[in-house]
Amino acid sequence: MSRTRSSSLTAQEAADGSSRGAIGKRLNGTRGRKAASGGTIRGAELRTAALFIAPGFLLYAVFMLFPFIQSIYYSFTDWNGATVHMPFVGLANYIDMFKDPLLWSAGWHTVVWIVVGTSVPVAIGLLLALLLWSNTKFVVFFRTLYFIPFVIPVIVTGIVWGWIYHPLFGILNSMLEFIGLDSLTRGWLGDPNTALVAVIVAAIWGSFGFVTVVLFAGLQGVDRGIVEAAEVDGASWLQRARFVIIPMIAPVLTLVTAITLIGGFAVVDYIIIMTQGGPGTASEVLGSYAYSKAFEQNSVGYGATLSILITVLSLVAAVAFLRFRERDR
Amino acid sequence: MAQAVDRSSVRTSTAPSGRAQRVGGTVLKYVILGFFALVTLYPLILVISTALKDPLQITVNPFQLFSSWHPQNIVDAWQIGQFGSFFFNTVKITVPVVVLVVALSVLAAYALARLNFPGKGFVFLLFTLGLMIPFTSVMIPLFYQLRDMGLLGSIWAVILPAVAGSAGFGIPLGVFLMRGFYLDLPNELAEAARVDGASEFQVFYRVMLPLSAPGVAVLSVLVFFQTWNTFLLPLLYLPGTENRPLATGLYQFAAGRTQDYGLIAAGALIMAVPVLVIFLIAQRQFVKGVTTGALKG
Repeated sequence: MSRTRSSSLTAQEAADGSSRGAIGKRLNGTRGRKAASGGTIRGAELRTAALFIAPGFLLYAVFMLFPFIQSIYYSFTDWNGATVHMPFVGLANYIDMFKDPLLWSAGWHTVVWIVVGTSVPVAIGLLLALLLWSNTKFVVFFRTLYFIPFVIPVIVTGIVWGWIYHPLFGILNSMLEFIGLDSLTRGWLGDPNTALVAVIVAAIWGSFGFVTVVLFAGLQGVDRGIVEAAEVDGASWLQRARFVIIPMIAPVLTLVTAITLIGGFAVVDYIIIMTQGGPGTASEVLGSYAYSKAFEQNSVGYGATLSILITVLSLVAAVAFLRFRERDR
Repeated sequence: MAQAVDRSSVRTSTAPSGRAQRVGGTVLKYVILGFFALVTLYPLILVISTALKDPLQITVNPFQLFSSWHPQNIVDAWQIGQFGSFFFNTVKITVPVVVLVVALSVLAAYALARLNFPGKGFVFLLFTLGLMIPFTSVMIPLFYQLRDMGLLGSIWAVILPAVAGSAGFGIPLGVFLMRGFYLDLPNELAEAARVDGASEFQVFYRVMLPLSAPGVAVLSVLVFFQTWNTFLLPLLYLPGTENRPLATGLYQFAAGRTQDYGLIAAGALIMAVPVLVIFLIAQRQFVKGVTTGALKG
């Protein structure tokens, strides 16, 4: 899930960024054209615009906006998905939610997912991007290689990591035995203490390459002269990274952190594929909890309420991020 | 900053010769890069190795790397495991999604970037919303909506929501990406065409669309990879076996009681290879797609 959300935000940034620069251009263009051709062209323009936008907008409205509004409506009912009538219950689902211990544990797991699943890939990605940037050979090879997990289907990633965690044959246990830590071996996905983190590690494998590539692209804009000057002044590699390079790529760093973080709120696919939220509810996150409520336990209304909670949380995070970045500028 | 430089000058004076340090640093750098290269490669190699394992070896140790050579698994997965039919179902879903997303977003994006009409800002805002709504927020009502429309189980139950952007890359993303491209195109060419008497559609089709080809390539590649890999859409809306794509085919196969690792790995390979090949061919577009936005922001 994190990877699907990621690019959405990226694209939005793209639109944002370009619109800013282009407003002036566009204004000039319009003024010129209007002066030249008068009022009739405006009608033609409106018709063309309507024709161009309608098909795409219609599909988008029917299969995205409408179900979204439906979700909000469902959240005020305790519909079971089978009856014709949808019993309206007002805010009851929202009140129940706060008294639901499973919600709090799923919420906590989501927090763990977001914190670990964001900080680790960002740290790895930053380290690798910095290393690739500092006069490294085979840059293209490494960059290509690191990016591959990001394009591998989540279902494949989930299955293979399941094998790595395999209690009898998995390489993780074999390696632990090899270095004499037999006591740590276990069925990683079947143990309630490790299931969630094991899934997160698989997701990190799937996302660190994305962070690396985006940060590496950001580094192309850094002036090497300044960094070399700091080196002449005796700054160590760490100091150059910390005080010279990272401040220059701070906007990209914040962005890629936000993308990864926001994606974490809605994660479902990794959990469904690897643990189904188990063992018990040890790896249940908000997204998978909403999924199982709506599609496995027939609590459609309550499931919709959970999905609205996820939306609100991720929207708040997105807006907070945009504010934060505006202030940075 | 001054403080930092200060501290470091003390450190350099006590450190051994600079060259030794630099060599050490370089070695460490390649050790780290190499370590992550191994971490990246191992799961990929594991799939290939397991897909080529003969059934006898699998019972001994399914995950020992390259202990046998048994390409028959891939043939078996394609035929007996139905991955051939899953493959073609995936193609039948992916191709229309890419074509529809590109065609519809290019049109809408052009209008939003280049034409003037009342309510433009609002329409754009509504499309923006599509980028912020996670799939979880629409997946429940969408199920009942598709059921009522009689689409559940047909490939359109995946195609239409995917095009709409329910599960990631769809029209909302396309509109944003392409709008950016159209805003950046120079106005002179379009004006010249208008002066020559071209209609608005001709201006778009003959002048602006060809100029935005690089953007179309980026969008196509992103939408292809997303749709090929999409898992939750077919899991929820394609319950039957008839139109099952690779993602859920593989999921059902791997969730089965008998764990035939060789066939599962072969199926995973059948699913991953097309994405990998297209990624390696269109790597520039891929990287551009995921980074342009990040850098412009």
